[in-house]
Parts: sequence; C-alpha cells; structure tokens
Amino acid sequence: MIQLFHVSKYYDRRPALSDINLQIDKGEFVLLIGPSGAGKTTLLKLLFCEERPDEGQILVQGRNMARMRPSDVPFLRRTMGMVFQDFRLLPKKSVFENVALPLLVQGASTFETRRRVMDALKAVGVEHKRDHRPMMLSAGEQQRVCIARAIVNGPIILLADEPTGNLDPDLAAEIIELFKAINARGTTVMVATHNRHVIEQVNRRVVAISQGKVMMDKGYRE
Amino acid sequence: MLYWVQEAFANIRLNRTTTVIAVATTAFTLACFGVFLLLYLNLKEMADSLHEDFQVVVYLSDDVAAQDISKLRQTVKEDPGVESLTYVSKEQALMDFREQFPAESHLLDGLGENPLPASFEVTLAPSLRSPPSVTRWAERLRGLPGVAEVRYSREWVENLTTMIGYLELAGFAVGAVLAAASVTIIASTIRLTLYARREEIQIMRLIGATPAFITIPYVLEGAVLGAIGSLLSLAILKGGLEFMKLQPGAPGQVLGLETGFHFFPVQVSLLMVLVGLVLGCAGSLISVLDMGRARV
Ligand SMILES: Nc1ncnc2c1ncn2[C@@H]1O[C@H](COP(=O)(O)OP(=O)(O)OP(=O)(O)O)[C@@H](O)[C@H]1O
Ligand SMILES: [Mg+2]
Repeated sequence: MIQLFHVSKYYDRRPALSDINLQIDKGEFVLLIGPSGAGKTTLLKLLFCEERPDEGQILVQGRNMARMRPSDVPFLRRTMGMVFQDFRLLPKKSVFENVALPLLVQGASTFETRRRVMDALKAVGVEHKRDHRPMMLSAGEQQRVCIARAIVNGPIILLADEPTGNLDPDLAAEIIELFKAINARGTTVMVATHNRHVIEQVNRRVVAISQGKVMMDKGYRE
Repeated sequence: MLYWVQEAFANIRLNRTTTVIAVATTAFTLACFGVFLLLYLNLKEMADSLHEDFQVVVYLSDDVAAQDISKLRQTVKEDPGVESLTYVSKEQALMDFREQFPAESHLLDGLGENPLPASFEVTLAPSLRSPPSVTRWAERLRGLPGVAEVRYSREWVENLTTMIGYLELAGFAVGAVLAAASVTIIASTIRLTLYARREEIQIMRLIGATPAFITIPYVLEGAVLGAIGSLLSLAILKGGLEFMKLQPGAPGQVLGLETGFHFFPVQVSLLMVLVGLVLGCAGSLISVLDMGRARV
C-alpha cells in the first residue's frame, strides 16, 4: 500500500529525512513516533504529495509519487484523509462546510453530503458546533473538526499528524478508538504522535524516527 | 454550481477598494474605445446615407439644340449606371436660383441674359455609388457631345471614406492597447484576491480539489468585473453624448448631420458588455495561470 525506497528530503540543504525505507501493507495501523523535529510531519507530507522527495521513490497504492502528473494528484488525495498538525480549516466557512469540502470538490449530492458530514461530526462529537466558524471553537474542537474532514469521504489511507495533541486523555482515547474502528473496516492508518498513552493504547506497529532516520520498527506485541 | 458564484462574490467583497478601482479603470478604458466606436459608426452611417442620395449633375452646353437635348437625355437615361434622371432647363435653373437665394437674385438681373446652364440631375445606380467608379463614369460622360461639365460631391465623399479608413485603423490600435490595459488591471485585481486567499487555495488543493474547481470563482470574479466595467462605460458614453447634445454647436450639427449623432444600437451595446466580460475572464486566467506556475 505504501512503500518508501531510500527517500530523502532536504530543506535548505539540511536533511529533514534521509534514506528512509519503509513498507506499510494494506490494513495496517502504524504509529510514527519521534522527538520534535524528527521529520514525522515531513514524512506524512511526502505521502500526501504535499511535498516531493529529493531522492528515492515513494509508491502509494502502487503509484509512483515522483513521476505522477500534477493533474492526477487531486484524485489520489481524494482516496486519502489527512489530519493536519495545524488543522488547516477554512476560517470563513462553518464547521459543516469545512467538513463537507472534500465531498463538494468531488461533486457529491447535497443529500449524500449532509448524511456523511453529520455522521463524521457525530463520530468526533462536535455535531452541535456545525454552524460555528472554526475560530469560535477550542483547539481540541478544531482538531476534531479536522479529523471529521479527514474521514468524511471514507479514505483508503488515513494519515493523522498528532491528532490528539490538543485533547484531554479521555477524548484522546476516544479518538484513537475511532481510528481503530476505521482501521478495522480496512483503512490503512498512520498516526504520528509523541503521546505515550496513545502508544500503549494502540499496541500496534511502531516506527520511531529521529533526525530524519528510522531508528526502530517494531511490530505487534501480541 | 452555487458554490462558485458564492465564492466569486465573496472575493469581490473581500477587497472592495481594489475592485472599485479595477471596475472604474476598466469602465474608463472601454469608454475611450467607445468614443472611437461611436465616431466610427456614426461617420459610417453618414457615408452610407450620402452614398444613397448620390447626385451627379450633368451641365449642358448652351449651344445645344432642343432635339439634341432630348437625344442626349435618351442616351444618358439608357446608361446602365443611371437610376433616374431629371431635366432642369435654363429657365427652371434660374427660377430655382431666385428661390434659393432671393437676396442675390439682382446679380442675375444685371447680366441681362440667363447665365445658368441647363442640366440633368442624375441619380446613380447603387453599384456606381463609390468614389472610383463615379470618377470613371463621369469621365465617360464628359466625352459626350453637348456635355459641358459633370459635377458631383467627389471630394467630400472621398475625404469621408479615407477618414473612415483612418478611424478603422486608429480604432484597432487604440482598441488593442486599451484592451491590454483592461486585462492587466483586472489581472492584478485577481492577483490580489489570489494572494489574500493563498492559504485557503492551498487547503482546497490538499483536500483534493482540481485546479479547475479552484479557478472557476476567480474567473467568474474577473468576468463580473469586466461586465460591470463595460456597463459603466456605456453609461458614461450615453451620459456624455446627451450632455453634448444639449450644448450649442453640438458635433452632430457641426458635421451637418440632420440625422443627429446616434448612440450604439442594442446589439453593439450587448457586444461591448460581452467584450468586457471576455477581457475580465482573460485577466483572471492570466493571474491564475501565473500562480499555478508558481507552485503546483
Ligand atoms: N517548510 C520547511 N522549511 C524548512 N525547514 C523545514 C520545513 N518543514 C520542516 N522543516 C525542518 O525539517 C525538520 C523536520 O520537521 P518536521 O515538521 O517533519 O518535524 P516533526 O517530526 O513533525 O516535529 P513535531 O513533532 O514538532 O511536529 C525540522 O528540523 C524542521 O525545521
Ligand atoms: Mg510535526
């Protein structure tokens, strides 16, 4: 499902990722851990085609990201969901409209959109704030709106960058349970985090990176 | 889709000041072009109407006998280039002169003999109503016995025709420059909107919107700006024209136009709005493509 071969990414000639090799199968749940500045966000950005690798090859769903035509990128992104570390919500749109956006750009019907958006908002517990602007929400609520937007179109791959960073332990546990449920339905899930509780709660494959290198890749502890 | 229209108007509301400036400048540039177009269309109409009652006067020599006149009349009348013909005798000519210029009629009294020649007033067939063919036709007629002179408003017509030619040229040049100016102004307005919303645009990309989907509101915005601008320019022109008509010595009268100076017909007005719309679209497309090249 996701394969990285000798991938490197440089920012101003300083490596954010160097020589990363990674293979993630369909239906896997992977935790990506590492200290701040390790390159977790950079790695997810590469998978989401927000950045391009400087070296190496990345295959996502069998497609080479380096050689993909720009016109194909939107269609690849529609099969993926991304929870951004910095939320990236549209400030002038309501919560409902923000979550509906991935469906809107695909031309989904109004009825279908309404049903799916309400389901997603209920799943993260912010359906009562659907008419608010993101600015009027707490950081934790914004984070949950961002999660709702990532799952609204039933993605094949769900990428989440520190999705529990602004949540209290109970809510964080709830969100991780939600991810597990989504994963159980066949979605490949990759969560970047440095939250210890999350690591204990998930008990799945853990990939640890530090200074742009994979330090540890540990499977199930069953 | 409703979404695009809403976004377009949200953009317009977003930077109101620049929008107003862009619309005003577009209106002004299109109005400048409109002045040319107005002048051109009206002169053209004038030229056409002149061609329509294109009168040629064939003056006869005084020494032509009466039966020769009717023979000549027959010859000219049968000429394929002649539509109709009226004979004006020497006496008729004198009477007409006295009627038209009563104050000067004593000038003729002093001469004793009637100095005015007899003439044929000829209306030419439509095919002959252009300067070169009239000249050729007149030359041929001058060769006939009994014809003293052939006169027509040649210079006038030729001048007008060359003037229209120049106007066409100048109109194209001015039009091209002003169109480029409008496109540039609208392009920079849209660029401002794009800049103000660059983060939102990036988010739209990240959630899987195609460039076309993202672009449409901005193209619509440009189209609306262009259309409003051209509507405004029409209003300016119409207002200016009405104002000029109120002045003594209005241009219509100066040019001797009984028909008066006309505003654009409806079709031309609609065309102007359409031109504004297309220029607006072009302007925003330039900005959008520019930005697309900057980062994909
Ligand atoms: N756009 C950028 N321009 C320049 N340098 C960048 C950019 N993005 C990331 N970096 C650098 O790349 C390195 C990895 O950053 P990254 O955001 O991937 O870390 P992270 O593991 O996500 O950290 P955190 O846990 O704090 O989110 C950092 O040293 C950072 O300074
Ligand atoms: Mg990060």
